[in-house]
Amino acid sequence: MSPIYRFENPDPASALPDGPLHGMRVALQSTVSVAGWPTDADSAALTDFTALEDATVVQRLRQAGAALTGLTRASEFGFGLHGSQAGEAVRNDVADAELVLDMMGECRVAAARAGAFGLLPSVGLVSRLGLIGLIPSMERCGLLARSCDTLSTLLAALAGPDGRDLTLEEAPLPSLAPLPKDGHGVTLGVIPQALEGLPAAQAEGFRAALDRLAAAGVTVRELPLPEYNLFDLVHAIVGAVEASSCAGRYDSVRYGHRPPGAKDWNEMYLSARGAAFGTCVKSFLVQGAFFQFERYAAYENACRIRARLVAAVQQLMPQVDALALPLADRVPEGATATLAETRAPFASTLLASVTGQPALALPAAGAYGALQLVGSRLGDARLLALGGMLAALCREGK
Amino acid sequence: MDFEAVIGLEIHVELNCATKLFCDCPNRPGDEPNANTCPTCLWMPGAAPRLSQAALEKAALLCLGLGSELQPLSAFDQKVYYYPDLPKGYQLSQAHLPLSRGGSITVTNEQGEARTLRIHHIHMEEDVAKLVHELEGRQPISLVDFNRAGAPLVEIVTEPDFRTPYEAMEFLKALRTQVRYVGASECSMENGTMRVDANISVRPRGTDQMNTKVEVKNMNSVRHVGDAIAFETARQSAAVQAGETVVQHTRLWDPDKKVTLPMRAKFEGPCVPDPSVPAIELTPAWIESLRARLPEMPTAKAERLVKEHGISAEDAAFLSADTDVADYFEALTAQGVTTKMALHWTATQVLPAVRERGQEISACSVTPERLAGLLTLLARDEINANAARDVLVALFESDASAETIVNERGFRQISDTGELGALIDQVLAAEPAALADVRNGVGKAMGFLIGQVMQASQGKANPKLIKELLAKKLKTS
Ligand SMILES: [Zn+2]
Repeated sequence: MSPIYRFENPDPASALPDGPLHGMRVALQSTVSVAGWPTDADSAALTDFTALEDATVVQRLRQAGAALTGLTRASEFGFGLHGSQAGEAVRNDVADAELVLDMMGECRVAAARAGAFGLLPSVGLVSRLGLIGLIPSMERCGLLARSCDTLSTLLAALAGPDGRDLTLEEAPLPSLAPLPKDGHGVTLGVIPQALEGLPAAQAEGFRAALDRLAAAGVTVRELPLPEYNLFDLVHAIVGAVEASSCAGRYDSVRYGHRPPGAKDWNEMYLSARGAAFGTCVKSFLVQGAFFQFERYAAYENACRIRARLVAAVQQLMPQVDALALPLADRVPEGATATLAETRAPFASTLLASVTGQPALALPAAGAYGALQLVGSRLGDARLLALGGMLAALCREGK
Repeated sequence: MDFEAVIGLEIHVELNCATKLFCDCPNRPGDEPNANTCPTCLWMPGAAPRLSQAALEKAALLCLGLGSELQPLSAFDQKVYYYPDLPKGYQLSQAHLPLSRGGSITVTNEQGEARTLRIHHIHMEEDVAKLVHELEGRQPISLVDFNRAGAPLVEIVTEPDFRTPYEAMEFLKALRTQVRYVGASECSMENGTMRVDANISVRPRGTDQMNTKVEVKNMNSVRHVGDAIAFETARQSAAVQAGETVVQHTRLWDPDKKVTLPMRAKFEGPCVPDPSVPAIELTPAWIESLRARLPEMPTAKAERLVKEHGISAEDAAFLSADTDVADYFEALTAQGVTTKMALHWTATQVLPAVRERGQEISACSVTPERLAGLLTLLARDEINANAARDVLVALFESDASAETIVNERGFRQISDTGELGALIDQVLAAEPAALADVRNGVGKAMGFLIGQVMQASQGKANPKLIKELLAKKLKTS
């Protein structure tokens, strides 16, 4: 049994030798629908569920000639990284890229953990059709690979409207300002509030990386965002309420684990849903149910705060090429964790999850810690190019 | 104490779109169970709902037809409840930002007064699956048919403006007419394309307090809605009279026993905005282009018929209740048929004949052009009214023109004075008693004689001419 894969594709060979992704081995998670594969989101609620059709991203991988290697082990619904092997297929070179569902930063932290690059694409850029997650307004299909070039190639193949997911951007992408030739002319924004309360090693690694970039000519500007701590609150309330409201669709009736002994359908519904979800996901759902049914005003308030945060960050963007945020590059060992432990590594990744902007994880390089760049919405291509340049500057400084 | 009811209606109308609300599956709930399904309307994991533009247009047209104001921004929410007809646990509905707000329908109440009954808002939602309860051997089983799941619905929510069952029934009839006018739905309560829930509370007549309301469901005709409201009003009045407190709950109408019975409440929670269906933004230009497609609505049509044709408001209301009937009437007048004749023949001859034959007036073989040919002969006294009714039957049975039928079958009226005179002489000779009565001034004897002449002519005599000739003969003889 593979420690990385829970399902390996017996026939991963690509049928299309001319595709732009020909020869690229791509690993998936069980949170991405592949027709006929056991894409059960690693949840007992979906035991024996087989997708009826490919997710749009899977269709596009096939059309571009990629080789689908299989499904890596994931946490339940891809929520958090406990028990997840995300990033390990790339680290161990059994895949060139991975698709990792990102609901609060999973793809970015997994990339940092694996010493790889991870992109959370802008909201509206990559179809969500076929993704099986918990937080519709925050979950996106993250891309993970060893280089920004690979991520760029992959993104080009996956992005764009599919006529199925109508939340996708239909208009042509905005034209982007050309990138400076080197570090001189690049401006990064740092939100000082984002460094408060960080583990010392992480804060140090982040500062070291910024110092290195500054030495290479990059301008680093402080951009205060007094409400930064509210990203966590918005994710905890809005994310949980969305999960609680829509997790009903994982019904444990037409598929999934169903405990025996229920007297009628009502009891069957209750017992199946009660038994289906693991402790951490269940805590998140219960938290959401509490706000939905007992504190609805707080939920509405959190939605308003979210809109305010989106606007506040948007105002910062014209002053910089990207925001630089710290990034955790390790997750405590152990297959299970409480909700608080599960969410702990994602303090710095919630900003982009909440605002819908693209975010790129750069791996640690030598003495420099992992780094996260947040770009303007739909400026993903430029963010990847910038990331490639800055990562090279960090490496040169070893 | 004298109580009055305070009634509000929630009316679900199933739109007659070709496809469902969020996928391309055919919107034909009656097909082989689960034939019209896909991952989206089976609500499978990973499915992405995609709002149908056709359904949005039809729903918006319905709102405009009811005079409800389309909102520039509306959105779908997840209406959370769990029941086996909704395995995904939430229904996509517009709870916070409905498609339209306002509007009203004016009806005439039992006292003949105009009552304007207001619409609070109209929203779109997806239908749920259908449960079918059967026996497998002796074991009762419930089956789920997803053909209806995701079918496009609108829900029309009224203000609590209704005071009597009659007002509710008149409102529903008028609503049905208007929705049919815009072509959005058949609105058949019998077939389930219109479903009505009534919220009913009672209060001492003359007060304006708002009391605890009870929701009544499961009425499958307009008549049942009236009966259920009447029953529930009486039940609550008696309960309050007896000092009981009315608690908020839902009751089902039992059409056989003609009573409402309490049902177990569905678990239902507050609605959360759905992040997967983009908000609907309607521009003024889009709304205006849609408005241009709106047909003339019943009230406007009735007013115009009164003005243009000089008919009574009552006749105008009758004609405009069905746009096809009004069109038929107007097509007749356009062919030169007099208003009086067109109205009479449409209402008392063509409509019953069409219904008897199970046809639609808009598609029946007796087109206004063919009927006008018949009515022209009648107006010119070439045939009489009796013959005209027979010719109408013949028109339904063949493609020939009225003129041809009249000629071929000898329906032409006898207007030859010589021929008629001979018939009259024959009758007078045979009926000396009646002749004596006429001479003695017994009024109805004259009618009897005319009838006898008509009979002798096998219905072909010109009645006016009989009268004239008879009078002349009685004077001279
Ligand atoms: Zn469907």
